Amino acid sequence: MSNKITIKFTVNGDSEEREAVVGETLLKFIRDELNLTGTKSGCEIGECGACTVLLDGKPVNSCLVLAVELDGKDLLTIEGLSKNGELDRLQQAFIDHAAFQCGYCTPGMIMAARSLLERNPNPNDEEINKALSGNLCRCGAYQEIRDAVKDSAKK
Amino acid sequence: MSDLKTVGTNVPRKDAMEKVTGAAEFIEDRYMGPMLFAKMKKSTVAHGRILNIKTEKAEKHPGVKAVLTGKDYPNMIGLYLIDRTFLAVDKVRFWGEPVAVVAATSEKAAAEAVDLIEVEYEELPGVFDPREGIKPDAPVIHENLGDYEIVPIFYPKPGTNIANHFKIRKGDIEKGFDQADHVLEKEYYVPQMQHVPIETHKAAVQWSPDGKLTVWSTAQSPNVVRQLLAKSLDIPMHKIRVISSYIGGGFGCKAGASIEGLLVPIAQKYPGHIIRIVFDREEDMQGTFTRQALFSKLRTGYTKDGKITALQYEMVWDGGAYTEYGVNIVRAAGYSSTGAYEIPNVKTDSYCVYTNNSIGGPVRGFGMCEMQWGIERQIEEIAKELEMDPLEVRLKNGMKPGSTTASGQVVHDVDYEKCLKVVADKIGWGKKENGKEGKLRGKGIAGLVKCPAQPSNAASSAIIRINEDGTAHVMIGATEMGQGMLTAISQIASEALHIPVDKIDIKVPDTDFTPYEWQSVGSRITYTCGTSVKRAAEDALGQIYLIAADLLEVPQEDLSYDGKKVYSTKDPDIKATIREIADSCKKCTGEGIAGPIIGRGSFVPTNMTNLDPETGQGNPGLFYCFGATGVEVEVDPETGVVEILQLASSIDAGKAVNPQLATAQLHGGTIMGLSTALYEEVRFDKGIMLNRNFTDYKIATFDNVPHIDSFIIETPETNGPYGARGIGEQPMIGVAPAIANAVSDALGVEFNSFPLTPEKVWRALKDKK
Amino acid sequence: MLSFDYIKCTGLSEAVDILAKEEQAYPYAGGTDLMVGMRGGKFAPKKLVDVKDLPELNVFEESDQGIIIGAAITLNQIACDDSIVKNIPILAEGSHSVGGYTIRNRATLAGNICNASPAADTAAPLYTLEALINIVGPDGNRSLPVEEFFTGPGQTVLKKGELVQSIVIPKPFPAGKGVYSKASRTGSVDLSTVGVAVQNWGKHVKIAVGAVAATPVRAFSVEKAINEKGEKSSAEAAKLVHNDIAPITDIRGSREYRYHMVEVLVRRGLEQTMGV
Repeated sequence: MSNKITIKFTVNGDSEEREAVVGETLLKFIRDELNLTGTKSGCEIGECGACTVLLDGKPVNSCLVLAVELDGKDLLTIEGLSKNGELDRLQQAFIDHAAFQCGYCTPGMIMAARSLLERNPNPNDEEINKALSGNLCRCGAYQEIRDAVKDSAKK
Repeated sequence: MSDLKTVGTNVPRKDAMEKVTGAAEFIEDRYMGPMLFAKMKKSTVAHGRILNIKTEKAEKHPGVKAVLTGKDYPNMIGLYLIDRTFLAVDKVRFWGEPVAVVAATSEKAAAEAVDLIEVEYEELPGVFDPREGIKPDAPVIHENLGDYEIVPIFYPKPGTNIANHFKIRKGDIEKGFDQADHVLEKEYYVPQMQHVPIETHKAAVQWSPDGKLTVWSTAQSPNVVRQLLAKSLDIPMHKIRVISSYIGGGFGCKAGASIEGLLVPIAQKYPGHIIRIVFDREEDMQGTFTRQALFSKLRTGYTKDGKITALQYEMVWDGGAYTEYGVNIVRAAGYSSTGAYEIPNVKTDSYCVYTNNSIGGPVRGFGMCEMQWGIERQIEEIAKELEMDPLEVRLKNGMKPGSTTASGQVVHDVDYEKCLKVVADKIGWGKKENGKEGKLRGKGIAGLVKCPAQPSNAASSAIIRINEDGTAHVMIGATEMGQGMLTAISQIASEALHIPVDKIDIKVPDTDFTPYEWQSVGSRITYTCGTSVKRAAEDALGQIYLIAADLLEVPQEDLSYDGKKVYSTKDPDIKATIREIADSCKKCTGEGIAGPIIGRGSFVPTNMTNLDPETGQGNPGLFYCFGATGVEVEVDPETGVVEILQLASSIDAGKAVNPQLATAQLHGGTIMGLSTALYEEVRFDKGIMLNRNFTDYKIATFDNVPHIDSFIIETPETNGPYGARGIGEQPMIGVAPAIANAVSDALGVEFNSFPLTPEKVWRALKDKK
Repeated sequence: MLSFDYIKCTGLSEAVDILAKEEQAYPYAGGTDLMVGMRGGKFAPKKLVDVKDLPELNVFEESDQGIIIGAAITLNQIACDDSIVKNIPILAEGSHSVGGYTIRNRATLAGNICNASPAADTAAPLYTLEALINIVGPDGNRSLPVEEFFTGPGQTVLKKGELVQSIVIPKPFPAGKGVYSKASRTGSVDLSTVGVAVQNWGKHVKIAVGAVAATPVRAFSVEKAINEKGEKSSAEAAKLVHNDIAPITDIRGSREYRYHMVEVLVRRGLEQTMGV
């Protein structure tokens, strides 16, 4: 008995047309409808950043966006970063610097960091902090993540 | 040891590709099958009798398949003390305790049905402070404490709220105080905090028509889940399968078994269906383990030269509503109650007290952060009283090889002095700096020590299968929650087997296939599982040599193996590839030799003993890992804001199996320590957890974390695999006291409690005036 | 997940019409407060009217009138806008201190004031800039000073069917420096324990404070001392702020600490902006 709207959008470069339940969050839609389970739920109130995706190129907390808003937009999730099995250089930098431990915050973290590098190709620590302060890492990989972002920027 | 090939190198994480691409499967990412979704009805009183529960409306709600209450399901469960049921049966003991569970075809339907359940409570007077709970006239929370099954190393007092009273009586405390020139006594308070892993607790169960239970869980310890469910539900172990996924952060919150059993009766009603529960953040915070709060009184006697002759520690712990796990934290804090210092006369009383607050349980440090706070603060004050350098006082009393702990255990392979000196040196100890613009600077250090808190027979095992092409599968029961277990263990296997890490496959456990591991807790896995894996590798090598000897017709003692071929040391042209060995077949005649190579290894501690019930003397420590933290702060005296200018952390890892990952653990623990030192405090109001989300439970973000200088010290642990010992928890322990010592140095005020929020620092200054 | 209808409006009058006629209809722009509120049971909408793409709400320009910020303009857009950073940096500072970067890509200035938390970080800066709120509703348009907009915690003057169309910072812009200072528990992503905006207008100063009363308030006692009585000491002037505020104790801070911090931040704000 739910209210559905047909939406058309691109996700990770592919065009899609789906039905979205009104009231469902974009996060739930990404995970349960699109079966892209890389994006995670950590708090559902926009405080932890684990659900960060790029919507029309901008990082958003997908737990605070309605799925129906995806209509006409372009969505990029963690799954869309590596092309043809080749890692994005930021992903490689995360590996090289061990910039994650449990990995749960990592997809959201990488999307937020990726967006930072698009806005600011050579950020310093302060700028990285300000861009990523909404992405919590309880394992405490902050120092390694800063190193990975800076290393990725150098190339 | 210097010719190690893999151990001691920075091998990239085994789970790296999966985690950076989002492919890593956490429990909620697995597609499992036709699913029912479970939601809990939670109590709205902290202590009360359940008068009645009306479930008819919920049962009739569209999509609902089952509604369970405690009276349908009074099975008890517990790790050390069986004091818990899955759902509250006759009474509730904490706010938010589950009283019913609904399973429906959608989460929405389940949530709606939960709202339709009506519960009537008779509210009972609640206990919210363990110092009240310990009094003889306090309302009793567990009336049947005397009937609970308990591991006999814990000492509850039936008829009271005391779930465990652990004692240390070492030496002669009276004489110790007589020998002292001075006595200092202070009270300390450490509030509850919570692990808040980014992934909350989740579990799913499935019952097959032939009576097999499959459990998926975020649990750190699948074997303990299996064991506790087997006992609680009276199901034989081979009929319970526990499957792990990557865990999105553990830190102890996912130790033991807490939520899986909630779903089993529903699964039994709907064989084939998968019943899944996902705790939302608020439920996770108030409904799963919280670090026990500690009220303590610490009294030390010391000479005018700064030697501590007597230590008397009374610790009253807020165990919360159920202490099935918490009783052991109280014990661990008791037997380590001199911290990193050797003190000849010790009297410790450590009490685990029931309250109607959230359930106390294991958190990184397992009592050490809370207990060593008092020690490291008091040492500082002793130094001030004597006008001595706090570093000197620590070095004077610090443990050395041959020192005895509070429980009388002799420590070995210790270089606590080095741990302290390296951080003190880094922060420029002894040099006072001036703050800018009215701010005040200070420096502080603190030491730390911890041994894994585990039963003396907590075991570990490993199986290694060599494939026909010489690659291998390493099968272990330890879980990967970020600490790097998969990588470190495969490095140990690689070293022992002489084959490269990328030829080794290793996965998180599935109890139908992987061998027993007690628990992935206590910073024990590198040591215990590592030893098992090393032994399994040696066993596999033994079989390789046996086959090769027969195949090559050369005595075993003449053979050597370089990872690719076995060859005779007398004539290297007499050789066989690992493939030929795996084929296990005599060349000329075609007869089989021995069969596939399967290496087995297991480990159980042989250096641990029980502790005397009256004196607490014995050997509870598998190994002791020491470290230290050094901090320089700049404090704004007007606002109370503490800025960390320098943060240095040292840990004695024995041997860093993977230096990059060991450093990452050091950073991670240090950051969690910093976060609890400055921001974290769970706030309760008569049992209601007020700040149960990230809006009001603040943890350190990028902005809050300065550069951390890390020092991995390597004093080899004699019996550890390649000299390694575990380090996951230790880096957290020294941070809060080091920061408090530094702020104290800057402002000239003392702190008996943390977090040092801006308001608390401001108040401390204000009260001083 | 609640059930409601979602309507993507194509015209402002359509939006106003729905908001006026339908029961429990809410305007939806960034959603960062609304979505959290819906989950927590604070709001139970039957209709969400998505107004993000309405051209009238996307106006963002500097005109002779001043700077016009449409209701759909996000906090990130404001925090890095050249004109705002140059002319009225206090608003950039206030906007920048809300949430984290990712939240600010969605959160709007209008949303921040319509949510009407007494701690709203954009409110105190808007007070010191004499901002005007342009409201559109079933009875037409109306405009009022921001200081008249809030009526209590979570409450505004908006009547059924009304929504904020834009916020205007009128010219002339202040001649002097302005700063927004925020005290919080962590100094990172956090709600304000207290927030203080001090704007030097050249011949006079305007000061507003958040999180210390039922709505954001102006520190009239402090302003009067400086502007009318010629008080030259920041410290002496700042002490008077106690007369203008009525903080409470809550989970973020105690009353005493808030009294203290407001005074400190007012004094520091004056030192930074007035050289007093």
